[in-house]
Amino acid sequence: MNGQEFLDVLTSRKSIRRYKPDPVPDEMIDMILEAARWAPTGENYQPWRFIVIRDQETRNAIGDLSKQGSGSRMTSWYCLNELQQRFEGIEDPEKRAGVLEFMYSGRVSEFCKQAPVIFAVIGDLQIGSVDVPYDLCAAMENMILQAHAMGLGSCWVYGPVASTRDAIRFKKILGIPTGFGDFKVLSYLAVGWPKEQRKHPRPKLPLEEMVYWEKFGNKERP
Amino acid sequence: MDKTKYCNEVLARVEELMYQELSGMAYWKCEFVGVDFIRSQKILGSTVPEIVESCAAVMKAEGIVSDVAYKTGGDGVMLKLTVQGCMHHGKEAHVKKEGVRPYICPIANMVLDQIHEKLKYTTSYLTKIAIDEERNRCLLYMALYETGDMIGHVTDWLKDDEDREWLESQGSQILAAADRKKKE
Repeated sequence: MNGQEFLDVLTSRKSIRRYKPDPVPDEMIDMILEAARWAPTGENYQPWRFIVIRDQETRNAIGDLSKQGSGSRMTSWYCLNELQQRFEGIEDPEKRAGVLEFMYSGRVSEFCKQAPVIFAVIGDLQIGSVDVPYDLCAAMENMILQAHAMGLGSCWVYGPVASTRDAIRFKKILGIPTGFGDFKVLSYLAVGWPKEQRKHPRPKLPLEEMVYWEKFGNKERP
Repeated sequence: MDKTKYCNEVLARVEELMYQELSGMAYWKCEFVGVDFIRSQKILGSTVPEIVESCAAVMKAEGIVSDVAYKTGGDGVMLKLTVQGCMHHGKEAHVKKEGVRPYICPIANMVLDQIHEKLKYTTSYLTKIAIDEERNRCLLYMALYETGDMIGHVTDWLKDDEDREWLESQGSQILAAADRKKKE
């Protein structure tokens, strides 16, 4: 694979929230985990641990927690007229209302109930050096790209662990020790066969707006 | 030694550093900051107003705040606290100097914690912290969900709010990026 082909994998990826009910084969699950294993990690500590969840009841519990986490925040943002401002770019009032309802109801984060498999990504704080959260993010990205390269869709979901109370609830669902010095729960990754065909690519900022040369703020390439 | 100043400086540093590491997400991570004190007190009540009044009485007696007024609304989802003379005002000023919108409020955390502990609410969320330095007060807007059924129940919390105009002139925690973009 040359550089352009690899870039094509990266630029064709998108977050998928709707999945077909078809199961993800074990071999593919193993490949996603193998990809995670090769992520960069400070001092090679490999603090990541992964919980593979296919049980419907557990996925329902996590889906409910996700819905509760996102919905509780977004309902109140809406009530203070702040959520509406975030989506004022959607001009069609009906479409905007639909998007807002999808957000404040919490349904935006509930979809892991339909994903055939989800991976909880956690880090052992007793093993890791000083990079645990960053190592976990690198592992997560590898998993997302590996899933995409195999034709699977995925979505990185933070909703159920955003607040500390919810993170504890999440740990209890999965039997993870709840001490603050034990494990960091990064989030989970929902994976399945895509049911949706989202328009692509979504708008991205041009490089000129985000790249500086030699010093912060210098946009001119020397 | 000014122990309040010392305490606020320590808190402010932690708040700034957490913001540097987690950006706005830090706002959602700090709900237990301050709860140990209130858990050590005898807080009584079987309704939200009773819990708020009980917490406020303790906080006033201990000199943490000089006054707390409250109002409920939004069909039971909204709790608004108006906190006067909070001992943590110094912390907020410190944090703001670094360009961080204060996001840790021990007062709100204490009240919410007791609502969870005593009334067993499903979940809650501290939606807005607005600090009015001129009047030495803070406005706190919180969402309380006795059951999950109330998630998605939307109303206009500011419809009859006497602070609406002032509040809308204040920055938002969740709209920080959008606000900055508007200024540019």
